[in-house]
Amino acid sequence: MARSEKILIAIDEGETSLKALRYVARMASSMANVSICLLHIYPEPPPDFYLKGGVLEDYQKEKSTKAEEIFALGERILFEAGIKNTMVQRILRLASGTTISQTILDVQLEGEYGTVVVGKRGVSKAEEFLFGSISNALARNSCRFTTWVVG
Amino acid sequence: MIDWNRYPAHILPKLKEHYAVKSMRRPPRLIGDTRDFTNIDYGDIIHVGERYFLIVGYTKEGRFGIDEQPKQWVPKVYDLESGERKIVKLTFHEVYTLSFGGLEVTCYRSPEKEAAVIELVRGNPYFMQGYSALDEADNLVRVLDIIQGKRLDKHLETLGDTHREYFEKHVGKVLVNFLDSIKGISLLHAHGLKHGDIRRDHIFVDRVDGRFRWIDFDYDFYLPERPFALDLFGLGNVLLFILGRKNFRLADILKDPEMGPEVFEKLDSNDLSLVSADRIFNIRKIFPYIPKCLNDILLHFSAGTNVMYDSVDEFHDDLVACMEKI
Repeated sequence: MARSEKILIAIDEGETSLKALRYVARMASSMANVSICLLHIYPEPPPDFYLKGGVLEDYQKEKSTKAEEIFALGERILFEAGIKNTMVQRILRLASGTTISQTILDVQLEGEYGTVVVGKRGVSKAEEFLFGSISNALARNSCRFTTWVVG
Repeated sequence: MIDWNRYPAHILPKLKEHYAVKSMRRPPRLIGDTRDFTNIDYGDIIHVGERYFLIVGYTKEGRFGIDEQPKQWVPKVYDLESGERKIVKLTFHEVYTLSFGGLEVTCYRSPEKEAAVIELVRGNPYFMQGYSALDEADNLVRVLDIIQGKRLDKHLETLGDTHREYFEKHVGKVLVNFLDSIKGISLLHAHGLKHGDIRRDHIFVDRVDGRFRWIDFDYDFYLPERPFALDLFGLGNVLLFILGRKNFRLADILKDPEMGPEVFEKLDSNDLSLVSADRIFNIRKIFPYIPKCLNDILLHFSAGTNVMYDSVDEFHDDLVACMEKI
């Protein structure tokens, strides 16, 4: 399989992820040999999590349950476009000690995905400065792979 | 009547003679569990990590222009063994929301994070020094050395009469010291730690060696994708203050007889702060003799920027390059 046919799509529960999924579904449905990986990454718990008696395992279970819904929806959108479930993988990661955008880049490198897809929220400059923009971070750091930013 | 038998013999001479004890109408209380810091008063003794600290006052802090309030969880103390004055920070967890032009960021007061920073920067002259210890109820207490010196903003006020004189004669040296402060923050970030509350009054200028030392590391915030954004924002604000020696809001320009409408009309919304839009970052429009490369660094923090700093190292390197140029 060519690298370009290995697509990694980073998704969350937001509307922009749905747009990105639908876009990938349309594009990939016409490709003969395609492999799609649905990637969901969640951040570390907030600084006071452990002080309040939080347990990482519980946090991960909660995120995993949420991710299950996200993955199921993603697979349904792809399936409805004619992409078989056997062509779809799932990866769930905790961005441990790093950012979500860096974790996407790490997964891309590990899996040698040729195309990385993210949705674009459309944030203000101030929001980008404080909260970051995953699509901008990916666009800046794309190297030897293609990034699709779906707005 | 004070029961002196409650105290170890080696601290008694200092304890009995201290004015805080002699002037009290009640005997001092010996406190091993510091959790309820609101009930710990002047003249009480905190026992932490084999040391006895007599409370002789409280530190104060206020935002600029607001009356300073005593911080009861940060008493000034006298070490009854060494005779040194120290500052003690007692455990106080709080969570609150900061608003930046309508964007909200959750902030946490974290004694644990401050303890981690203090541990990391032990012996580093660009940070306040101290150590952490648990009291008898396992509350994390930080024991800090007092820096003999002035807040950066108060220090800058003493340099030069006019802004031009200040800028031409003193800013270069201030920036050289500030570069060391920036490197200090970079060190924290390299270890996954934040300062958390970078402000112009959280740098102290040491009276003896003139070095800038960071203080107050107990704030943390939750920005998973841009963990160091608020530290960067703080550094931009400090640089702005160093170059301008004060912050300028649009209304300040109109009120200033030396600037007035002539300067005001040159300004637009792109010249204001990117995050809070409350202060003018395009400071060259106010002081045209400020070199362009310095102003360009500030513009990365302005609403008009298309390129933002991602790391403190980028900010540091730009400042070094500019200083070499000028």
